[in-house]
Amino acid sequence: MKGRNFFLFFYLPFLGIIIIFFVFSSLNRATIKKRTEDLVKEQLRAAAGILKVNISHFLKENYSVDEIFESYAGEEDIYYIALLDEDKRILGWSSRFEGYLPLSLQAVGNEESWIIDSPAGKIFNFFSPFSPEKGKSYFLYIGYSLGDLEEMVLYSRRSFFLIFGLISIIGIIFFYGLYQLQRHYLDKKKEAEDEKKEKERYREISAFTSGIAHEIKNPLNSLSLLFELLHKRVPEEIQKDVSLGKEEIQKVSRIIDQFSASLKPFSLNKEIFPFAEMISDVRESLFKEFDTAGIDISYSESSSIALNADKGLMQQAFLNLLKNSLEASEKGRIGIRAWQKKGKVLVRIDDPGRGIPDEDKARIFEPFFSTKKKGMGVGLYLTKKIVEAHEGEIEVQSQRGQGTTFFIHIPGG
Amino acid sequence: MRRGFSTIVLILAVFQCTIFSQKPDHFYNVDTEKKIKGTIQNIVMESRYKDASPFLIVVLEEKKTEEVYNVEISPVRFFTHDFHKGEDLEVTGSLYSKEGEKNIIARQIRFRGEIIILRDKKGFPAWRGGEMKQKKRRKGKRF
Repeated sequence: MKGRNFFLFFYLPFLGIIIIFFVFSSLNRATIKKRTEDLVKEQLRAAAGILKVNISHFLKENYSVDEIFESYAGEEDIYYIALLDEDKRILGWSSRFEGYLPLSLQAVGNEESWIIDSPAGKIFNFFSPFSPEKGKSYFLYIGYSLGDLEEMVLYSRRSFFLIFGLISIIGIIFFYGLYQLQRHYLDKKKEAEDEKKEKERYREISAFTSGIAHEIKNPLNSLSLLFELLHKRVPEEIQKDVSLGKEEIQKVSRIIDQFSASLKPFSLNKEIFPFAEMISDVRESLFKEFDTAGIDISYSESSSIALNADKGLMQQAFLNLLKNSLEASEKGRIGIRAWQKKGKVLVRIDDPGRGIPDEDKARIFEPFFSTKKKGMGVGLYLTKKIVEAHEGEIEVQSQRGQGTTFFIHIPGG
Repeated sequence: MRRGFSTIVLILAVFQCTIFSQKPDHFYNVDTEKKIKGTIQNIVMESRYKDASPFLIVVLEEKKTEEVYNVEISPVRFFTHDFHKGEDLEVTGSLYSKEGEKNIIARQIRFRGEIIILRDKKGFPAWRGGEMKQKKRRKGKRF
């Protein structure tokens, strides 16, 4: 899935949900805030009503304005208070903030109460007439702190943004996880499709090349027999040349055999066999075939290992590997170490040979790649093929002049 | 600045502890806001509000009319500039009269090219709502 499609498929609905959540929550918060404000206003109006009754009582008792305000000095919620006569002239006032009495008689309308913003927070203003006795009327101006309400609103906003942030983060992580899963699945699917196509292509090429090999092999066999007959009938002085010709034909025949073998898909005949015994057989056949003077092949295993695999193919794979190591080493010891881990047999082969140059390392398992004069470049390719046919893995580590190490992991331990 | 209130200023300043008496007109009345430009004649400290620390009061003579105003700046400990006799000062504030004297509660002053905001537009004191704000007067055009 492309980035844009992913955005449309996953993030757009998520964003939609987040936006809807945001809008609904904001509206809900606004409604709650409005209702709470109304409730607080009602309560403060009622409180101001009581205050008016009290002040009326003080005025009747001939208390001075300063004395009246002194009695309200301890009220934390009252920011300022003022008493005005019927002509709206200030008779007295008191404020918690030096000189702060935000009363504009030019701006005062018919409203009895209103809210103003100040650096100390929102203030509920109440401006209302009252009459303590007949013929005398006053105005009371009072500013109540709405600090508690603001604190509640702030708490609500903080909680909202915390929840909103958490949901957003969880959503992003969740959809990112989904995206990774989806991408992984699509990658695997593509890999499987590519592999299938490659197999089909390989099968076609194999069938084609096997046919060609077969067609070449038949005349080569006849030619080989012909050279055999010739060798018997020709004069002695050219018998050597005929033998050379025959050897060359046999060489071509061997190349074709190896080529055909490398193309054939393996059908595994698995059996359980002692791994040490298989390695011992390989070592013996190597000693018979090669001059191993000065080179020793040692084998060690952590415990008695039995491997469930195609014994013949495994022999061929390890024969190729050890042959490669022998050819690369002039003297010293080739060490084979095997152990078991989580149902797998792990094998490490170290040789003291000349090592593999970095530029060749990536190619040594490719078919028909060889740095040897007589080599065909099929041995290591076949080894890899056999190991992979058993769902195993093979890796190489090498440094020029410091030997080579092969790591083989085969399931079935 | 405030901490380094200069010796000259200290000599000029006359600390007057008056008995607290809150007059009905002595509040920041937005309806009587006025702007005047004048010269500093004197600097005094006075108690102006109940339970508040002494205020810095500048006696200012208006250039145009030569009328004298008592300009209430801020509590002394919150003011960070040095005033000197004879310096120019532009004041925006609320005007009220007290015992025949003209008084101004300063909201904003312009002094030595700096604008110092002492109260907000409704008269809320800056020293009760955080640091006093200052801004440099910009000269020339901005690009």
